[in-house]
Amino acid sequence: MELFSSFLTAALLAILLQNSIFERALGTNILIYASRKKEHVIGFSLVIIYVTSLSSVIVWLLDSNFSHFKHFGILMPLLYILVISIIYILSLILVWRFFPGLFRKIRTYVHLSVFNCSVLGGLFLNSLHGGSLPEYIGFGIGTGIGFFLAGYLLYIAHPRLNSDLVPAAFRGLPITLVYVGIISLALYAFVGYATR
Amino acid sequence: MSSNIKGRPSDGLVRQNIVLMSGLLTGPVIAGAKDFESAAAISVVFALITFFSVALCRIVPKKLVYTVRIIIYAIIASAIYIPAYLIAQSLVGDGAIIKAGIYLPVLVTNHVILSKTETRFFQLSYGYMLLETIGYIAGFVAVCMITGIIRDIFVNSQIGSIRVDMGFDVPAFETTFGGFIIVGVLAGLCRALFNFSQKSQKLKSQDGENKEETE
Repeated sequence: MELFSSFLTAALLAILLQNSIFERALGTNILIYASRKKEHVIGFSLVIIYVTSLSSVIVWLLDSNFSHFKHFGILMPLLYILVISIIYILSLILVWRFFPGLFRKIRTYVHLSVFNCSVLGGLFLNSLHGGSLPEYIGFGIGTGIGFFLAGYLLYIAHPRLNSDLVPAAFRGLPITLVYVGIISLALYAFVGYATR
Repeated sequence: MSSNIKGRPSDGLVRQNIVLMSGLLTGPVIAGAKDFESAAAISVVFALITFFSVALCRIVPKKLVYTVRIIIYAIIASAIYIPAYLIAQSLVGDGAIIKAGIYLPVLVTNHVILSKTETRFFQLSYGYMLLETIGYIAGFVAVCMITGIIRDIFVNSQIGSIRVDMGFDVPAFETTFGGFIIVGVLAGLCRALFNFSQKSQKLKSQDGENKEETE
């Protein structure tokens, strides 16, 4: 029960308080690209959940065994990229071998959903928070769910953000960033914000 | 070399600015560039990683499948991160590096390296590709530094170590939502200025044509 509660707490932390988009702005460009189609929002989120949760297990092993090493911090990006790459290539081989239909569907965007700031940043945040294995996995899954939440909120607003009602210069990217900023502001209610 | 893909190297500054026009790499600017120092740290690391990674990634054989190439690109970028981090540390100091936090290592998955190399740079000559990369870097650095300076002025009443007293503070600019709104407004202004200059150029060329016809 204790393991489950630490898993759940870490997942909720990643979804709400440390949301990769609204709180950390990690993978915003991928989110804007994915939010154009519902299938992309779901596909990208599932890939991110899969990669971050699996990577979290290996990252937990690395962190718990090598974090005392003097130069571990500077080597982290290289190690984490190697972890992500191994999971990416092995998973692609499995999907290509056993689910060729799915492989054809995802191959156009799978690289974008694996090699992005959201996945790598999620692993760094996981390391920053530390904790037990269930917490690492919970945080990894929460990162992907948080991405889905942000993606869905953007997907439903997409037609309005790109409509003629918005001045031409602000249509698309600029108004989308302001919109995400306003949702991010609303989420600050969970964290609490004090002005100086 | 494909002629239709070739633009001017300076396009990366405004016309194809990776942050304000393409919406790439917005994260480090929005949440990382919280003041002048952190913006400088992100700019230095981004410039070094991107330039040297693109220069090396271009050598990766095109006959390898993209699935393998993207892994090689990411590994090259994360290997270059090590010297880039050390150089940035000596240039901007430990304080700025700590302030930039996780936004420095996430730069290894930037889309100038992972996507532009594939979609654009492979179609250009090596020298021209490097010039374009410098253009993209200049565009990113400009936006990152402007955002950092705006935040430093409104939050800390300073630019780096120079005191700039506005008489009021806007501490919310330091937050992520403040960053989203600043970059969103900058993107809108950049597009408005670009559209305006395009329109005025069009009008000038039309005027020139009309004069020629009347003569």
